[in-house]
Order: sequence, then structure tokens, then C-alpha cells
Amino acid sequence: MKFFKSIKWRLQLWYGLILVAVLAGFGFTAYQLERGRLFGRIDDELHRRIGVIAGALHHPPPHGPDRNEPPFDRPLPGQFPDDGPPEENLHPPREFHLPPEDAHFFDASDPNNFYYSIQDLNGKKNWHSDNDPNYDPKSEVAMLSNDSLRLTYREIKNVLPSDVEISVGCSIAPELKELRLTALKLGGFGCVILSLGLAGGWWFVSRALRPVENISATAVKISAGDLSQRINVGEAESEFGQLAAVLNSTFARLDAAFAQQQQFTADAAHELRTPVSVILTQTQTALNREREAADYKQTVEACQRAAQRMRKLIESLLALARFDAGQEVLKRLPFDFSKTVSDCVELVQPLAAERGVKIISEMSPLQVTGDSERLAQVVSNLLTNSIQYNQPGGEVRVKFESQNGLVVLTVADSGPGIAAEDLPRVFERFYRADQSRTGTGSAGLGLSICQAIVEAHGGTIEATSEVGTGTTFIVRLPLV
Amino acid sequence: MRILIVEDEPDLLASLAQALREEGYAVDIAANGDDGLFNAEGTDYDAIVLDVMLPGLDGWEVLKRLRKTKKTPVLMLTARDQTRDRVKGLDTGADDYVVKPFDLEEIFARLRAIIRRSANKTTNLLEIGEVKIDTAARNVFFKDKPVELTAREYVLVEFMALHRGEVVTRTQLYEHLFDENENSLSNLLDVHVSNVRKKLGAEFIATRRGHGYCIE
Repeated sequence: MKFFKSIKWRLQLWYGLILVAVLAGFGFTAYQLERGRLFGRIDDELHRRIGVIAGALHHPPPHGPDRNEPPFDRPLPGQFPDDGPPEENLHPPREFHLPPEDAHFFDASDPNNFYYSIQDLNGKKNWHSDNDPNYDPKSEVAMLSNDSLRLTYREIKNVLPSDVEISVGCSIAPELKELRLTALKLGGFGCVILSLGLAGGWWFVSRALRPVENISATAVKISAGDLSQRINVGEAESEFGQLAAVLNSTFARLDAAFAQQQQFTADAAHELRTPVSVILTQTQTALNREREAADYKQTVEACQRAAQRMRKLIESLLALARFDAGQEVLKRLPFDFSKTVSDCVELVQPLAAERGVKIISEMSPLQVTGDSERLAQVVSNLLTNSIQYNQPGGEVRVKFESQNGLVVLTVADSGPGIAAEDLPRVFERFYRADQSRTGTGSAGLGLSICQAIVEAHGGTIEATSEVGTGTTFIVRLPLV
Repeated sequence: MRILIVEDEPDLLASLAQALREEGYAVDIAANGDDGLFNAEGTDYDAIVLDVMLPGLDGWEVLKRLRKTKKTPVLMLTARDQTRDRVKGLDTGADDYVVKPFDLEEIFARLRAIIRRSANKTTNLLEIGEVKIDTAARNVFFKDKPVELTAREYVLVEFMALHRGEVVTRTQLYEHLFDENENSLSNLLDVHVSNVRKKLGAEFIATRRGHGYCIE
């Protein structure tokens, strides 16, 4: 049932139902008002004619043509019962004649015109007009109470004090026909409004939901692998515009993360190419002809160096991957940080001597909780870095102190320094300030690994540098 | 044939130089961009093998500066294999491009090709009278019979054949046949020339007194 799950269709359905309810209510009211108006008019006419009949009963017309009373001079039908009939007219009249000037009220030539009947209380009909349907056995008229609605006739009865009952009625067929026409008109009008409303609603809903379609189309393209796609943000201030902006920034971050990952893979492959080239050329050269044992030894040594370099690179990559995945389990044990630092200084001393770099360290015992092996890796990485990017006769200063619950380790070199625009990139993977790798054998991952280890300990690492003066790395670690 | 290799990875540089020397080339080496450019500008090499990632001047910069003065064929070595790097290399003036890791055979073949192209030759087969030289297989035939030549002798024959019709001076021959460490042995060239004449006929290489040698 995709149909009912679609928001568009559901909105349209609710909208349509509400519109139908409103139109039905409106149509019913209009119909009732029209019906009341038509029947009210008929009832007025009937009351007036009852007055005429009653007047004719109590004031029989004189037998002379000179009597010319205007018909509306007589008491109005509504007032008649209140005024009370004159005393001398309390007996039922013996005969009844409709005054000639009132004859037009009951034109019997058409059965649809008004009719009257006058009967006494015994039910005996004394007089009636020729078109009285009560005397037609086939008539549908059912006698009902006063002011009642009959099927196609409407009739009013009035009992005079002289025990004479007057009934006046007429056919309401034309009115019923008019009412049916009105109902048809209202129905037609309602249908037109409903279809216009539904069409307008469909247009509006489609328009309102178009950004959703836009977003979903873009998301489909992105899930198909094209990460450069962005949602076209049409109306930035609408809710959809804001959503699209949020999604776009998410897509941009995904794109950047993906590009970074690709760059990382490309760089890793690139770093492996040179040692593999060494092994290939060394072995192919050696195998080209018979060699002395010393030549083979040289070849094997070169291959070993290349393999060591690849091993170091692979270990670094794996360490970074473990930190990235949060899989690296750090030991959390208290240890003496000064011991770690002095061990590291001792370890890099031969390299420092080779480069003519002096290491100056200031330290006093300090208990730190963390992974001593990993933190030793950070210290020796920073030291090696400072020695390698130093100048002959330069120096490396190492010190650490406890500040506000943090241990602050500073490693400063007196090397050429790093340009301000390169400084933020030094922790990037495979980034080397000097694009060559002469002598260092490093792939540009050392500082990335330091950063990963320090951050896994809940600490921070930063670098400050001044070109010509040197570079300083500052590591801040929580003591506990 | 004298070749310059500019490469900063010592093990790679050493094995490449050894392999090319064993192929009969005279090989000079440089471990950084500045030395590489200095050598390349000072000597007429038959080809240069140039790494892209170098300390000091990088490969692109060396190539750009070299192209201002010399048309020496250059084979670039790089660890980047993206198309834009290849395009950049070729547009900067490199004659060919090899991506690390490579096979030595490929380096040999590409070097032969760029040297041949720079001498305006399109095939591997050179025919001079009754002498046929197959530069790909490094074989020489005299009267349709294979002739045994030492590597140095072969290179002498090939160099003279590639410069057929020109007078090649002794200095040129020294420059192209011997690397910078061998220059002191001045009579070595005469020994090679006389050996070649013995194997391919005395008239194959003519001597122009006071100028040098020539293959007609």
C-alpha cells in the first residue's frame, strides 16, 4: 500500500475530507435556508387566504353591486383569532359565497392553485372549492395536524369560534421542483469547488514537497558513489532550506573524509614504492650474472634495509589504524616520567652525536599514569625529529613540569624552523616540511602517531616555530 | 653512452648505477637535485635518469632549469602514478616516465628508446656497409656473422653508428664512453678502436687526423 504511505497522498486525503465536510455543511445550511424561505412564503399566503375565507363567512357580501370593499380592509388573518369574532356571528352560516373581489385568491381552474374547504365540527364538509384535493380519492393528501407538511400539498386549518373549521391549502409541487434544482445547483457548485480545491491542494503539496524529492534524488546520487553532489538550496530560509544546508555540510564533511582516506591510501602506497624499487633493482642486478660472495652480501644487506623500512612503515600504518578505530588498548599504570624521558634521551644519543647535536635535559621525578611504552614512543619520536631537523652543532632542550594537574613536556630544537603556513600541517599524515626524505628514512607518520597516542591519553600536542630560531613541541598530559 | 642518474635513495642509486655499467654505459651519479643539475649542465650525457622526489631542487625543477640550456633525453622516475603527474612530467620536458617500482629491463629498454630517438633513429637496426647493429639485443653482425664485442667496444660502435657521417672527437668519445672516474686512462680509447677495426674491418672506422674518428 505505497499509496497510503505517501505523505503527498495522505495530505491530499485529509485535505479532501476536510473540504468535503465544509462544503457539505455549507450546502446543507444553504438548502435549509432556501427551503425555509419558500415554505414561509407559502405559509404567509395560506394564512392570508384563511383570513379571506373567515372574513367571507362572517361578513357575507351584500347582494348589491354598489358594495365595493377593498379586500385588505378586513382584519388580517393573524389578528383575527385575537380580536374575536363579532357576537352575532357565532352560529355557523347556512350558506357561503366567496365575494367576487376575493375570487382571484382561489382560482379553481388550475388544480395547483389554492383551494379551501369549510366544515363543521362533525366533519361534515359544507363548502369547498372545486380543486380541493381532499375530495379526490386518488389524492396523495394525508390529513395531518395544523401547519403540517404533506407530501405534495401544504394545508393550514383554523377552527373558528363558531365551530367551523376552515382548511386552506395548495400544491407545493413547483416549490419542491425549485428546491430540487437548488439542491442540484449546490451539489454542482460543491463539486466544482472540491475539484478546484483538490487540484490546488495537489499543486501546493507537490510544490511544498519538491525539495524533499530534490534531497532524495541527491542522496541517491551520493549513495551511488558521487560524493561531489550537493542539494540545490532554493529557499534558504524555509525549513527545507535549512535541512538542505545541514545535509550539504554533512555531505561536504563526508566528501572531505573520503578524500582524506584516499589521499592516505595513495600516500601509503607511494611510501612503499621506493623500498620495493630498491629490492627489485638490487636483486635483478645481482641475478644478472655470477657474483662474488661480497656482492651478494651487499645486495642482501640493501634488501634488508628496504624491508626494515617497509616494516617500520607498516607498523606505523597499523598503529594509526588501531588508534583511528579506537582499538588500541592503553595500559593505565603509574610510572616515573623522568625515567622514561632519560631512557629516551639515552636511546637517541648516538644519533645526536652523529649529527653533532647536543641534548640538554632538565628533569625531576614525576609520577604519571598512562602507557609508559607508548609515551616513550612519543618522547623518542619528538627527540629524533628535533635531532634530524636540526643543524650541526645545534641543540635540543627537553624538560617537563607539573602544572594544574597536567604534565607539560617541552622539546625544543634550534633548527631552521617551520614556516607559519606549514606549521598546522606538521601533524598531518605523510606530511614532511622538507619534501625529500634524505637520511631520515621517515615516512612523515611520526608526528601523526605522537598525536594519536597523546590524544588517546586525553592530552594535547602542539607545535610552535620561528623560522631561523627553531621549533618547539609541547605535550600536555593529565597526571592521572 | 654516458648516463647520469639522479636519485636520493642510496641503495637504489647504487644498484641502478651498477646495472647500467654492466650494460656497458658510462654512469655518473648524483644524490640530490643541485649536484644533478650541476652535472647535467656541465656534461653532454646521452641520457639522464631523474628521480622526482629529491632533496634540494626536486626533479621538476632540475628538469625545468636543464631544459633552458640542454636537450639531453630525460627519463623520470617517480613514485606517483597519477595521470596528472605523468602529464606534468611530460609537459615539463621529460622524454619518458617510469613509475616505481620498476623492472630493470624496462629501464634499459626505455633508455635505449630515448637515446635512439634523440639520434633521430626509429628502429633498433643500424646497417653500415656489411656491418649490422641490433641496438635492442646489443648484437653486431659482420658479413651476416655475429661478432663478439666487449661491452665497451659495443658502445663505441653504437655511438659512432648513431653519429654516422659526423666526425666524433676524442673528447666526445671520452665523454660518452667513460664516466668521471675513468678519464685518466687516455690510451684506452685507442685500444678499443683498434680492437673494433680488427673485428669489423679496418675501414669501418676512419681516422681524421687532428679531429677524431668517423663512420662514413
